[in-house]
Amino acid sequence: MRFCRSFTVFLTVILLSTMAGTASADLTQSMAPITGKVFVTDVTFDPGVFFSGDEGTVTYTVMNGNANTSVMMNHGNFYDADIRLLSDTYDFSNTLGPLQSRAFTFSIKTDATEGDYYPTFSLSFYDSNLYHKSLLQVDNTPLEITVVDLPDAFTKGKKKTVYMQVANPRKNDVRNVVLEIAGEGITATPARTFIGDLAPGAKVPVNITITPEKETTALLTLNYDNGNNPHKKTMELPVLFGVDKKQANPVMSNVQVKTEAGVYHVTGDVNNAGLETANTVMVTALAPAVPQDPYKIYVVGALKPDDFGSFEVTFTAGPGNTSIPLELSYKDTDGNIYTAVQDVKISSSGASASQADSSFPTMLPVAAAIIIVLLFVGGWAYYLKRNKK
Amino acid sequence: MNPSIIDILIRPDAFFRDLVNKKEDLKVPFLIVLAGSIVAAAYGYLIGGLTAKMMGLAMPGLETFITLSSVLGALIGTFIFWIIWAGVIYALTFAFKGEGPFKRVLEVVGFGYLPQVLGSLITLAAAFIYIPRIAVPTITNAGIQDPVVLEQTIKAFMHDPAMMELTQVSSLISIVFLLWSANIWIFGIKHIRKLSPRDAALCVGIPVLAYILYMIYNLGVM
Repeated sequence: MRFCRSFTVFLTVILLSTMAGTASADLTQSMAPITGKVFVTDVTFDPGVFFSGDEGTVTYTVMNGNANTSVMMNHGNFYDADIRLLSDTYDFSNTLGPLQSRAFTFSIKTDATEGDYYPTFSLSFYDSNLYHKSLLQVDNTPLEITVVDLPDAFTKGKKKTVYMQVANPRKNDVRNVVLEIAGEGITATPARTFIGDLAPGAKVPVNITITPEKETTALLTLNYDNGNNPHKKTMELPVLFGVDKKQANPVMSNVQVKTEAGVYHVTGDVNNAGLETANTVMVTALAPAVPQDPYKIYVVGALKPDDFGSFEVTFTAGPGNTSIPLELSYKDTDGNIYTAVQDVKISSSGASASQADSSFPTMLPVAAAIIIVLLFVGGWAYYLKRNKK
Repeated sequence: MNPSIIDILIRPDAFFRDLVNKKEDLKVPFLIVLAGSIVAAAYGYLIGGLTAKMMGLAMPGLETFITLSSVLGALIGTFIFWIIWAGVIYALTFAFKGEGPFKRVLEVVGFGYLPQVLGSLITLAAAFIYIPRIAVPTITNAGIQDPVVLEQTIKAFMHDPAMMELTQVSSLISIVFLLWSANIWIFGIKHIRKLSPRDAALCVGIPVLAYILYMIYNLGVM
């Protein structure tokens, strides 16, 4: 009886030992080909290319390539000497079914300088590990703002268009691209232009009109997001006044002065020597002249380049005025008014033209009156003297 | 042979030598001065019309008032001047112990106005030529309340080339015909106030030359 109990215990131990050996053999010998079929199918960095200091994510997609066997995963990690991991590692056990995929996402930050880096993703199985290295690029190349066309010169109060181009020389998309323009004493339209996403190598034209009130420097700021990281590129645009080489340039010529009934009639031609159209060209006389009807103001109208029109203005002017300023004004296509003043000689003597034309200079009547009086007095003196004798 | 009106102009000595023996009669002198005042009123109407045109926009009715004032001023002013001239000359003759009543002096001055009537007619003709050529500046209601604007507007009007020419022409004509009148007055005063030709010339010449010098001064400062 005692032998039987001892045999039974022995047999049980043997049986249990046999059973344990069978189980161990299933895991150790059959698992190696199984985990070998678990691999990383996709790596995604967001943003695709980092700036130094950018934060982002990396997502590894792991697939179980076994058709009918699950695998046990229990530790997912990301590490690199230059790329800092911000999120936690995957410290739990989980089963990945046959032909199933699972994504492992890590938040990272690039403290590294420009260059290529190969961070490692590791995944532990029950008896082995999966290691995967992938390329992460750090590139600090910013977006480009290019001034395609700029006016020769800005003019106070005149709207001018600046043609620009925003380009993405990077290898990844950037998002929320916005161009802003600001500056003291300028009015820009639009002051803020939303461009949106910009693919690698893409370029977008941006036209901005600037109306300056004084010479200044316009600051162009290009804001954009690389992933979720805001970046900006700035550029200064000098707004300097000068002569617009293309602007309309009305010039008076063939100016002739006549007087009629004390009213000066100034006639002449206005030629547009510029390259743009001069609209609503007007001519009038300024003080000390007093404009008179019928041509107080003469509207010549629009003059295209190399075109000309005649004008006539009428005015009176007091004595002593040898020249009178004539004002020539015109508008550009935006309605800005430009004026130019040209002096016109109306008399060489300083007396009014009517006097200069007539035989009555200022002192002539006085001299004539004195002579008449002297003749009268002399005549009477002679008469009295003769009568006395 | 009775002296005629023509004698006043060309033979005043003979005319007044004859007149001194007649009774005082202001009828003809009055008519002469009246003729002169009518011509002066016509001239005043033309010049007043320009002033009225200048001020017309400033106030309703002002245009009529200015024109009427100019006409009435010229009409009455001529008679006032007649009396003033006679009074001044009469007063000066006392310095040379002149004799005779003031009415006689008034008669002589009235006859002596005849050349000035002719002069006024010539001035009126000149006004008809010059006035259409005068550019008259206009002044608004707001402008008339601003002394600077008012002064500048009047200055512009007076310094209008055609206006200046008219003023110069009319002044020269006035001087010539006033001297002609003075010539008549000297002979008249000589006979009426029983003065020597020299004293009569001084009595008439002093106020006339003073007045003419004032006119010449105004011509010079225009």
